[in-house]
Amino acid sequence: MRDVETRPRRNEWFIIVAIILVSLPLILGFLLLILSSFSEDMITNLSPNSFRPTIENWINVFQGKLAITGGIRQNILKITFNTLIVALGVSGIVTLISTLAGYSLSRMKFQGRKLMMLLLLMLHAFPGVALIVGVYLFYRLTFPQDPSMVRLYSFFYVVLARAALEIPMSVWLMKGFFDTIPWEFEWSGIIDGASRIKVWRKIMLPLIKPGILAVALFGFLAGWQDLIYVRTFLIDKTLATFIEANIEAEYSHMPLIAAAGTLYLLPTIIFFLTAQQLLLQGYSGGIKG
Amino acid sequence: MKGKKLQTLSFFLSPMIIMVGLFYLIPLIFTIYISFTKMKNWNTEKYLSEVVGFYNYQRLFHMFQHDPMIKAILLTTVIFVGITLIINVLGGLLLALGTFFVNESSASAIRLLWLLPRMSPIAVYSLVWYYFFHGSDIGTLNSILMKLGAISTPIPWGQMTPWGAWSVIIFVNGLVGVSFGMIVFTSSLNQIPKELVIAARVDGASAWQISRRILIPLTKWHFLYVLTWQFLSLLTTYPHLFLLVEWDLVNRDYGTTLALYVFNTAFGRGEQDQGLAAAAAVILSIIGILGGLVTLKVLQFERMIHEPRGDIE
Amino acid sequence: MKGKFGILVALVVFFGVVASGCIGGEETSKTKTTKVELTGDFVKDVVAIGKALEENGINEVKFSAWGSGDPNSVMRVHGIVEAARRINKVWEENGVNVRVIITDKYYTAAFQDAYQEYLSKQPLGQAGDFFVNSYAFLPTLADEGYILEITEYANAYKSVIDDFYPSLIEASKFDGKLYGLPQDTEARPFYIRTDVAAKIGFNLDGLEEKVKNGEFTWSDVHQWAKKAKENGAAEWGLIHRKGSAHPDLIQFIFAFGGKLYDENSKKLVVDVPAIYKWLYVEWKFAQDGLLPEDIMSWDWAKQIHPAIVEGRTLFDIGGTWYWTEWQTKDYYGKEGTPRPLKPEEVQAWLAYTLFPAGEEGLNPVTLSQPFVWMINSQAGQQNPSYEELKELYHELAFLMIIKASDPDINAIHSVISAHLPVRKAAAELIRDEEWLNELKNLNLDLDQEVKDNLRDIVATTVHPINAKFLADVSYMLEYTKLAPAHPKYPALADIFKEALDKVLRGDMSPEDGVEYIIQKVNADPELAQNVEVIGEVPKDWQFP
Repeated sequence: MRDVETRPRRNEWFIIVAIILVSLPLILGFLLLILSSFSEDMITNLSPNSFRPTIENWINVFQGKLAITGGIRQNILKITFNTLIVALGVSGIVTLISTLAGYSLSRMKFQGRKLMMLLLLMLHAFPGVALIVGVYLFYRLTFPQDPSMVRLYSFFYVVLARAALEIPMSVWLMKGFFDTIPWEFEWSGIIDGASRIKVWRKIMLPLIKPGILAVALFGFLAGWQDLIYVRTFLIDKTLATFIEANIEAEYSHMPLIAAAGTLYLLPTIIFFLTAQQLLLQGYSGGIKG
Repeated sequence: MKGKKLQTLSFFLSPMIIMVGLFYLIPLIFTIYISFTKMKNWNTEKYLSEVVGFYNYQRLFHMFQHDPMIKAILLTTVIFVGITLIINVLGGLLLALGTFFVNESSASAIRLLWLLPRMSPIAVYSLVWYYFFHGSDIGTLNSILMKLGAISTPIPWGQMTPWGAWSVIIFVNGLVGVSFGMIVFTSSLNQIPKELVIAARVDGASAWQISRRILIPLTKWHFLYVLTWQFLSLLTTYPHLFLLVEWDLVNRDYGTTLALYVFNTAFGRGEQDQGLAAAAAVILSIIGILGGLVTLKVLQFERMIHEPRGDIE
Repeated sequence: MKGKFGILVALVVFFGVVASGCIGGEETSKTKTTKVELTGDFVKDVVAIGKALEENGINEVKFSAWGSGDPNSVMRVHGIVEAARRINKVWEENGVNVRVIITDKYYTAAFQDAYQEYLSKQPLGQAGDFFVNSYAFLPTLADEGYILEITEYANAYKSVIDDFYPSLIEASKFDGKLYGLPQDTEARPFYIRTDVAAKIGFNLDGLEEKVKNGEFTWSDVHQWAKKAKENGAAEWGLIHRKGSAHPDLIQFIFAFGGKLYDENSKKLVVDVPAIYKWLYVEWKFAQDGLLPEDIMSWDWAKQIHPAIVEGRTLFDIGGTWYWTEWQTKDYYGKEGTPRPLKPEEVQAWLAYTLFPAGEEGLNPVTLSQPFVWMINSQAGQQNPSYEELKELYHELAFLMIIKASDPDINAIHSVISAHLPVRKAAAELIRDEEWLNELKNLNLDLDQEVKDNLRDIVATTVHPINAKFLADVSYMLEYTKLAPAHPKYPALADIFKEALDKVLRGDMSPEDGVEYIIQKVNADPELAQNVEVIGEVPKDWQFP
């Protein structure tokens, strides 16, 4: 929901300028990164001669090569695709599960409800990186014997395991969003005999779109960014592990890394803009009429 | 509970229960068990059958007592968590409020900009700030300040202890953390009924007054949520710190938090000491849970999980 | 609701069924050859294994190759690819209808990361069948049972084994048993800028000999470094690596006659006098403005390499791979646009010797970090009937690394990555100008894919000057030391680095630095158990 048109224009510009001022280091840092990807040298200080334009870095990245001589080529398209699968998988699962659970925790009274919420909170205190050994054990126990199933299973497992880490936070968040919707909305539906499930699907979900956006975005980022779980469980590579595997301070050619890093940002930007568009278009919020 | 209600409840809750059970609770119990073994190098067969009691915990406590670095690390952890938390929560709120009052395309651009840190690969993100804060004249900040004539020789930002190192790690992590609050608060602001804002505008209220009187009070739940969850995250986070220390951008003593310290000891020295890491995780999470409980008590937890309205049965 | 739970139960059962391997049955095994006695005749053994595999219905053997290191060391993976091709050729020529296929080539920049990944993926059966990594990790991998013991197979191939340099074979052993074959090694030259030396009247003729004899020590290094700085010939007297004390700076400990490892107690050693002297020397250099105080934070690409390449320092503690690194990257910015150095320039401007002795009466040293071809203890597991034909797959894997150790493969790797050859036959090839020419034109008998991959590296690195450099530094291997392959060594090296950084910045005196190291070692009980602290800080020790 945006603020209405009666606001004075002046104030808006003031706010924008203030925010830009605060964001200057951020803007500068990323600008230099993107510029460096088009340069033969990393542009780090503002000396004009460090910018030597070239598209060599990008050509190399698209060929899957992260070293200027040598190195081994990888299929960058496949790697990006793998990363997308993980990210979308995590995002989808987290969103689905948390909207389901969040609704019932917000609306339904049952024994153990408070305990459940407290437990979810406590789980978040446990660092995911240490949890990984337990997840690993479980992985070993359920690992398929048939070699052709292995790759598929590893994707399946990584998505589930990573999504699980985001669930406590997302469930709490969705519950919070459901809480803000006055229950008069469902009341009419339930009076008319609709089941909870129907009410949830037809009435509540459309009202909760901003919350869904938040959770879906965080889920996507979690999957896209993930290093530790992917490195341990996934047989294939993702962009995150690919970049990380090729960055060694002693001999990496940094502009190449800058180019790979910039490429990495693009799908997440697209996801964010698309999700925002899909979910917030025509969203009016609040009580209608 | 009546049958139908149980049925509905399990429809909504079972996916979560199964996921959390399989991938969180069971591994958690495993991990606690592993903390009582000497598991290393992922060799589950060799080490898991032998329980060594509190060996790992004793080892950790011995390190806490005798490592010359430990005082600096504890202090760093407190300062880091405290200040970054404030920045993350308040920064997120301010950004959400700010973008609320501007037109949609500018707001979208701002949100995207502030999401970039969270969207970047950790190594590349660290690389950006490595060059930005580099202590020599190749550093971006140094070269700007020197060109402006503010300083004559480059300043080794991350190596100035303690506030130089602290500022760098807080800054780098803060930029990532702010986006969490920003997204949550933006979404919550989007759910506030339009009419309230319209009415206030018609009455001639300024942006600041609208924020104070209407918007902020209505996001109280989300404020508490962001505060609590960010606190727990900050206590155990270390990926965005690891490379800054590894690349010698920040002084090690004042750039390492407790989480980084224990995980470096377990994983960062050529070995993969899962037993030690598990013990460290248990200790960290106990601290986190205690801290979380205190926070919730102080901020009136009860209000956050008040009885659900609209329950029919 | 029942439906939902039902689906869940079905899923769990499904998992269980799949996990128990009920899907896919086993055939009853008839009496077929499942093991071949290795005779030492390569072609004979390969054919025998091939025939045995064919007999068992196998026509394709899948292997994956994992390697790591700097970008030019790709032969660590391509060597396996080439070995596969050579074996396939033998089979073709002998009418055996089997082929080796390399399925996955995985290469990481940081070998420590590759090691960690191997650790987690090996028990899952998802690690490479071949694994090239530092000798330092071999004991742990062997101890955990993650790599294959090849002592028995090697006994049949004594002639090949004997061609390797003995110290490298020793590094490939654990508990007296052989677990791999040496893949490469290196030396760490002490570089000197000839142009800066000329400006201060530092005569480099016969320096190599003087260093070898222990006549030229670190006191002399200090003297000349000081002169260079005072005369304005160079900005710095000494530059070295950033970020860690291992491997370059550990040489100081050896140069001062200290040790890092006790053979008898099998423990690491903190040799107090040697470490004190090391910290003192570096501290003195920093105090006198000859070594940058913040050198441990310097940037490789923008500060360290350019400083050496542009002659802003007299001395540098480096590695053999710098020689080609300077020819590949744009570090030379003195004449406008930064560019790489030409081989002639590197040769003209940089002299190299052993790491000088610490003081009179001691010996010069260098440090090597050999890499080893290792075989996964479950090599061949991607292939059918693995349990039955394990022995065959393992023997084949062994023959693969024997082939990957062919002199020409090793020589190619050495030249393009500026590492040193591991066997005498390879060292001879490097001296052969004709062969070098063939390499430059990629006119060798190599897999086409390997050739395509090597094209750009070969173009930049193959040059008689570079080969001569490698041949010239080979003598250093006689003086080389190896850091202990003890699992706790990285932790100790890390502590050294911390102390060094503080001492260099002036936050601690060298004596406090030693105290700090001892404190940190004792803080971790497990580390303390594995480390002996010997000796005391020498009183009245003067430097220079």
